[in-house]
Amino acid sequence: MIAAIASRAATPLWLRHNAGVAGVIVLIGVVSVTGASVSDRFLTLANLLNVCEQTTDLALVSIGQTLTILAGGIDLSVGSLISLASCLTSGLINGNPDRVVPVATAVLLLGSFVGLLNAGLVVALRVHPLIVTLGMGAILQGVTLLYALGPVGRVPRGFSFLAYGRIADVPVGATLAVVLCGLVALLLRYLPLGRQVYALGDDANSARLVGLRRGRILMLVYGCSGFCCAATGLYLAARFGVGQPYTGVNYTLASITPVVLGGTLLSGGRGGVVGTLCGAFLISLLNNLLNFMDVSKHYQLVAQALIIILAVSIYVERRGME
Amino acid sequence: MLTLKGISKSFPGVRALAGVNFDVRPGEIHGLLGENGAGKSTLIKIIAGALAPDEGEMTFADAPARWASPREAKLAGVHVVYQEFALFPQLSVAENVFLGNERRNRIGLVDHKRTRKEAGELLARLGVSLDVSAMVGSLSVADQQMVEIARALTHNVRLLILDEPTAVIAGREVALLFDRLRRLREEGVSVLFISHRLDEVFALCDRVTILKDGRLVGTHETRDVTRASLISMMVGRDLGELFPPRPKAVRARQTALRTEQIAIGERVRDVSIELCAGEIVALAGMVGSGRSDLALGLFGALPLASGAIDIGGERFTAMSPAQAIRLGVGLVTEDRKSQGLALLLDIAANITGPALAEVTRHGLVNREIEAAIATREIERYRIACRGPATPVATMSGGNQQKVIVARWARICRTVLILDEPTRGIDVGAKAEIYRIMRELAAAGVAILMITSEMTEVIGMADRVIIMREGRITGELLGHEATEEGIMHLATSGRAA
Amino acid sequence: MSGSAEFATSAAASWSVRAFLGRYGVALALPALLALGGLLSPSFVSAGNLSNLLLQFAPLAIVAIGQSFVMIVRGLDLSVASMMATAAVIATSFSGADHDVAGILAVTALVALAVGSLNGVLVTKRRVSPFLATLVTMILLQGLRFAYTQGAPSGNVPPALRVLGSARLGGIPYNSLVLLGVAVVLGIVLHRSAFGRRIFIVGGNPLTARLFGIRVDLITIACYVISSALAALAGLILSGYVGLVDNWVGQGYELDSIVACVVGRVSLSGGRGSILGALTGAAVIVVIANEVLLLGVPIQAQMIIKGVVIVAAAALYSRRETSSG
Repeated sequence: MIAAIASRAATPLWLRHNAGVAGVIVLIGVVSVTGASVSDRFLTLANLLNVCEQTTDLALVSIGQTLTILAGGIDLSVGSLISLASCLTSGLINGNPDRVVPVATAVLLLGSFVGLLNAGLVVALRVHPLIVTLGMGAILQGVTLLYALGPVGRVPRGFSFLAYGRIADVPVGATLAVVLCGLVALLLRYLPLGRQVYALGDDANSARLVGLRRGRILMLVYGCSGFCCAATGLYLAARFGVGQPYTGVNYTLASITPVVLGGTLLSGGRGGVVGTLCGAFLISLLNNLLNFMDVSKHYQLVAQALIIILAVSIYVERRGME
Repeated sequence: MLTLKGISKSFPGVRALAGVNFDVRPGEIHGLLGENGAGKSTLIKIIAGALAPDEGEMTFADAPARWASPREAKLAGVHVVYQEFALFPQLSVAENVFLGNERRNRIGLVDHKRTRKEAGELLARLGVSLDVSAMVGSLSVADQQMVEIARALTHNVRLLILDEPTAVIAGREVALLFDRLRRLREEGVSVLFISHRLDEVFALCDRVTILKDGRLVGTHETRDVTRASLISMMVGRDLGELFPPRPKAVRARQTALRTEQIAIGERVRDVSIELCAGEIVALAGMVGSGRSDLALGLFGALPLASGAIDIGGERFTAMSPAQAIRLGVGLVTEDRKSQGLALLLDIAANITGPALAEVTRHGLVNREIEAAIATREIERYRIACRGPATPVATMSGGNQQKVIVARWARICRTVLILDEPTRGIDVGAKAEIYRIMRELAAAGVAILMITSEMTEVIGMADRVIIMREGRITGELLGHEATEEGIMHLATSGRAA
Repeated sequence: MSGSAEFATSAAASWSVRAFLGRYGVALALPALLALGGLLSPSFVSAGNLSNLLLQFAPLAIVAIGQSFVMIVRGLDLSVASMMATAAVIATSFSGADHDVAGILAVTALVALAVGSLNGVLVTKRRVSPFLATLVTMILLQGLRFAYTQGAPSGNVPPALRVLGSARLGGIPYNSLVLLGVAVVLGIVLHRSAFGRRIFIVGGNPLTARLFGIRVDLITIACYVISSALAALAGLILSGYVGLVDNWVGQGYELDSIVACVVGRVSLSGGRGSILGALTGAAVIVVIANEVLLLGVPIQAQMIIKGVVIVAAAALYSRRETSSG
C-alpha cells in the first residue's frame, strides 16, 4: 500500500529530489582530488576538455537509456542499433560529401522509428521491455550483418569534424551531447508527456488507474532512445571514419552504468539526464585518472566495478517491495 | 443526478447484479451498503465506466450514459476514489493532483507555477493545508486521501464515489473527511459513499441503499432506519449473536507475554503490557498510534530499539520471527495479500507455511501429510474451496483470512496477535473468526486483537488497552469499556 | 474485498488460441521443432547430429537451471558468462595434467562461492537491483581475469576435462550425463524439498516468507551461489570442449540463459518456474540454432530468428497484467 512507503521528512525537499546528482558530483570531486595529487596535469583545462571529448559516445547513448529506465523499463537493443546506424552512415555516404545531410537525417529518423517499434511491441504484445528489446537487439544485429559483414563505406574527411573538431578548444561532439542533454531535460520538465514518464516509472498501476496513455509515454521514451542511439552511431562513424557491424556491442550494458551513477533509480520514477551526463563524465574521468596512474588497462574494469559498488552503497535503491 | 434502471451484469458462472434500480440526487451524500459479494464493486465499476452493463440503462445529469471507458465517465463528471489510491509517491502533491490533466501555458508546455498555485487552492477548498511541493510518499494516509479527492475536483466532479474511504483512517481524520464531504455537498456535488461501518453511514449520509446478492434490497432516508433493520437487510437474518458469549468465570490467569518498556523504530516509544493466557485483549487506538509496529515487534519482525519481551518466563531483548514461532506466537497481519499469504501457492502450503518442518521428512516435503493437515483445517473452519490444492489467489477475502487464521491457530500455544482481523470480509466470515478466537482463548492462548472497530472491541474484549503515539494511555476492563471512553483515551489521554 | 480498480478478469482459463499456446506451447514446440528438423534435412536425425545437439545443449542447460533458481527469487544473474570464462581460465592455469583436476575443482568452487555470495549480499543486504549487482560482478570478474592473464591467456586444459567436455560414453556425451545428474538432483531440490518450497515462497511473497520465519536473505544468497556454481561447472565443461583457453568462453550465455528461462515459462517477476521449463527452453534454443545452421542459413538470419523467438515466446506467456514501461 502506498501508506507503507515512508520517507525521512527531515531531509530538505530539494536534496531528496536530487540526491543522485549530488552523489555523482561528490564522486567526481573525489576523483578530481585524487587526480590532482597524482599529477599536476590532471586538473588542467586541456586534460578536462579531452576527457569531455572521450565521454561523448557514452553520454549520447546513456541519455536515451535514462529515459527508458525512468519510465520503468530498459532498452537492450541500443548496441545493435548503434552498429546499424554507424554502418548505414558510412555505407550510404560512401565518401560523398553531398550525401552527408540527407543520410544523417535518414539515420536519425530510422533510429527513432526503431524506438517507436520497440514501444509498439511492448504495448501490443504485453511483454516486458527487457525481453522485447533483447529480441529486437538480436534482430537488429542480424539486419546489420545483412547490410555489412565488415567495415563498410567511408565518411568524407569533413565529417570527422563531428568527432574531432574543436571550436575555441571546446570539443564539438561533447557540446552536441550537452545540448542534447539539455533538450531532453527540458522535454522531461515541460512536456506533459515528460512528467508522465516519471509517473509511469513510479507506479505503473496508478498510472493505469489515472488513465495515462502508456503507449504514448513509451513511444516518447523509446523513440528518444532510438534517436540517441542513431546519434551515437553517427558519432562513431565520424570518429572511426568507417562504420562496423559490431561497433555497438559493448554499449548495451555500458549505457546503464552512467544512468545508475547519476542517481536514476533502476526501477524508475526518479532521476534525470543531468545526473547521467555527470555519471558518464565520472567514468571517463576515472579512466583518465587510471591512465595517469599508469594502471594497466586491465585494472580499469575492476576500478569501474568498484566505483559502481561504492556509488550504490552511498545511495541505496528503492526496490519493488520496500 | 444519476439514475440506474434494471442494471444487470454477469460474469462466467456468477450473476453479479440483477435488475438494480438506484438513483443519486444532486447535492446529496448517498451511502451504499452491502456484504462482500453483494455487488457493490461491480456497481461502482459500471457507474465509473470501467465495466459495461449487460442490461439496463443509466442516465447521468439527465443524459443517457453509456461510457466506453473510465475516461469518458471522468469527462462527464464521475470520479472514483478507490481504496488503493492511484498516487505517485515520488512526485509532488501538486503534480499528483494534476497528472494527466496538466496545467499548461499558452504554448502547451507545463506551467509548474500554475500547477502549484491551483493545487493549493483546491486543497484550501477542502479545508486542507499541505505543502504542495512535498512528495506524496511522505504524507500521512489521510492527507493522501485528500490529494486523491483534490484530483477529483480538478475534473469538475459532479458525482464523487468513495470506496471504503474510512478503511484506512479513524477518529479525528474521519470527522475531518466528513466535514469536507459536507462542504462539497453544499457546492452541489453528489457523493456516493461505500462503507462497511453503519455508524458512519448514519453520521454522514442523507440516504442509504442496501445491496444483497446482486439485488437491490431498498433505498431509505437514513433517519427512517435503525441499525438493526439495516443489518437484517444486509444479511437477511437476525445477527443478534455476532459475538460469541464471554466466559463468566475469571479465574487467576497465567502471564503469557509481558513487555518491559519496549521501543520499536519511531512509532513505538514506551510500551509495557501484559497478556494473560485465555484472555482476549483488544488494542485500540488511531491509525499511526504504533499498534501494527508493536505487533510486528512482538513477533520479531521489527527490531527492538530498547526494552525487553518476556515470553513464558524467558526474557528477550531481540527476537526473530522464527524464534517467535518456536515460542508459540502467531501473527495475523493487517495486509493479507502481501504479508499474510503466499499468493502463488495453494491452501496446503499456506497452512503449513511456518511449520514446514512438521511435514518435512529427510529434507523433502511430504505432500500427503500436508494435504491431510490442510483437509482437517478446511473442515474445521468451513473454508469454501475445492480442496487443499486450491490456489489461495482464487479465494474470497473471507476465506483467505480463514486460511491465515487456521495456519496460526494450529501452532499457536502462547500468544496469537491479530491485526484488524475482520477488515474487508463479510459478516459470515467475521462471526466464524470471532468464534475461533474465543475457542483459542478457552484453550489457553492469549489473544491480542488490534482493531479500529469499536463494536468489535466492545463485543469481544475481556480487557482493552489503548495506545496513542507510541505509548499506552489507558487500560479498561471489558465490561467497563464504552466507545466514548476508548476514544477519549485514544485521542487525548495521558500516559498511564 | 477491497474496492480494487482492476478490470474484471475471469479466473478460469479462456480458450483462446493465445491461452492454449501459452500453456502448452513449449511442450509442443520441442517435438514439433525436432520433427521439422527431420523434414528439412535427413542429416538432422543422424546419430552424429543428435549427439552434437546434446553436446551444445548441456552447457546452456546447466546455466539455465542456475538462472532459473535466481529468477524464481525475483532476481537475474548477468554474471554467469563471466563466471564461465573465469572457470575456463582457472582450468588452464594449472599444469595441464590430470592430477591437477582436484585443485582446479577446488579453486573454481571457491571462486563460485565467493561470486555467488557477493551477488547475493549486494542484492539482499545492500538492496541493489539484481540487474545492477550482477552486472557489476560481471565487470569485476572480467577485469580480474584480464589482469590475471594480462589479456593473453595461456595454458592447457587437463585431459580429464577434455573428456568431460567432448567425449562420449556409448554415443551420449559425458557432459549430458553430468547435466542429467544435475537436473535430477536440483529438480528434486527445487520441487520436492523444503528448501525448494521456501525458495518459491521467498520469490512469490518475500514479506510473507519473512513472517513464516524463513531466512529470506540466506535463501536468496543460496540461489545466487547455485547459479554461480552451475555457471562454473558449465565453464569447465566448455573449456574441455574448446580445448584451448579463451577469455571469452561462454560469451552470450548470460542473455541466452535468460531467454531459455523465459521461453521455458520461468517468470521474470518471481515465484514461478520449473527445472523442466528451463531445460525445455534451452532445448528449443539449441534446436533452432542447429536447424538454422543445417539449413545453411547465414548468421544474419540466425540472429533475426533468435530475436523473433524470444519476443514471440514471451508474448504467448504474458498474462493480463501490464508490466511497467
